[in-house]
Amino acid sequence: MGDHCEQTMRKLSVYIDRELSDAEVRSVKAHLDDCPPCEKVFDFQAEMKRLVRKECCTDDAPARLRDWVRQLAAEKPSARDREA
Amino acid sequence: MDSDFSLFERHVDALYRSALRLTRKPEDAEDLVQETYLRAYRYRNRFKPGTNEKAWLFTIMTNVFRNRLRQRPAPTEPLDQPGTDFSIYDQLRREGMPVHLMSPEEIIVERGFGDEVKRALEELPLPMRMVVVLVDVEDFSYKEVASILGIKIGTVMSRLHRGRQALQKKLWEYSGRPKARPVAVGAH
Repeated sequence: MGDHCEQTMRKLSVYIDRELSDAEVRSVKAHLDDCPPCEKVFDFQAEMKRLVRKECCTDDAPARLRDWVRQLAAEKPSARDREA
Repeated sequence: MDSDFSLFERHVDALYRSALRLTRKPEDAEDLVQETYLRAYRYRNRFKPGTNEKAWLFTIMTNVFRNRLRQRPAPTEPLDQPGTDFSIYDQLRREGMPVHLMSPEEIIVERGFGDEVKRALEELPLPMRMVVVLVDVEDFSYKEVASILGIKIGTVMSRLHRGRQALQKKLWEYSGRPKARPVAVGAH
């Protein structure tokens, strides 16, 4: 594994999170285009991130909680302020 | 200003699913979200219109949650441990799986890693779990997470790094692989 691979692997998760500077993005991208083994690692880690999101987004708020929030939003301010 | 409160309504699913990852119990999650909205309502005049209302709500929720935890700590909270470098990908390659010939989706489905994500996430120590949820599930930037949790960006990054490795290690263990050995990150 060359120096470029090591550097790229160190920056990989920050790259996936879109938190690198433009210059760093260009250098990581250039390396991934050139290096299929690193590109495979990238593909896998990016998919793991998508997987976490997908699996966790299946829990929607229960209807009664949603209704409760809607009522709160529609409420006249004064009543709840006194309660608080 | 008061009528703007309806702006906050749309984040109820995001708050609830994150509350569920933090508390691990539907009734506690619902309660946490309610208290978050009550506080947001009470302090709605402190919200600066035009700024990120989702980040504002999450700041309130994580504060409420941490206060609750201080008052009555959950007995089963996992402790924060020093992480060892771990990656499912490296581990599969070591096992001789032809990972270079498979798509990530194929690997994940074949090994059943997807089925246990929530459980694995909920077993991470809280500081890591919060950061992984905020970045990977809620799509906040590092800067936003630093502000929500009141920590440095460097701390966000190190918790995220350790959290993701710990998550992969748990997924690996749950999916019935032999117990993990530490490997170098990204070694080909």
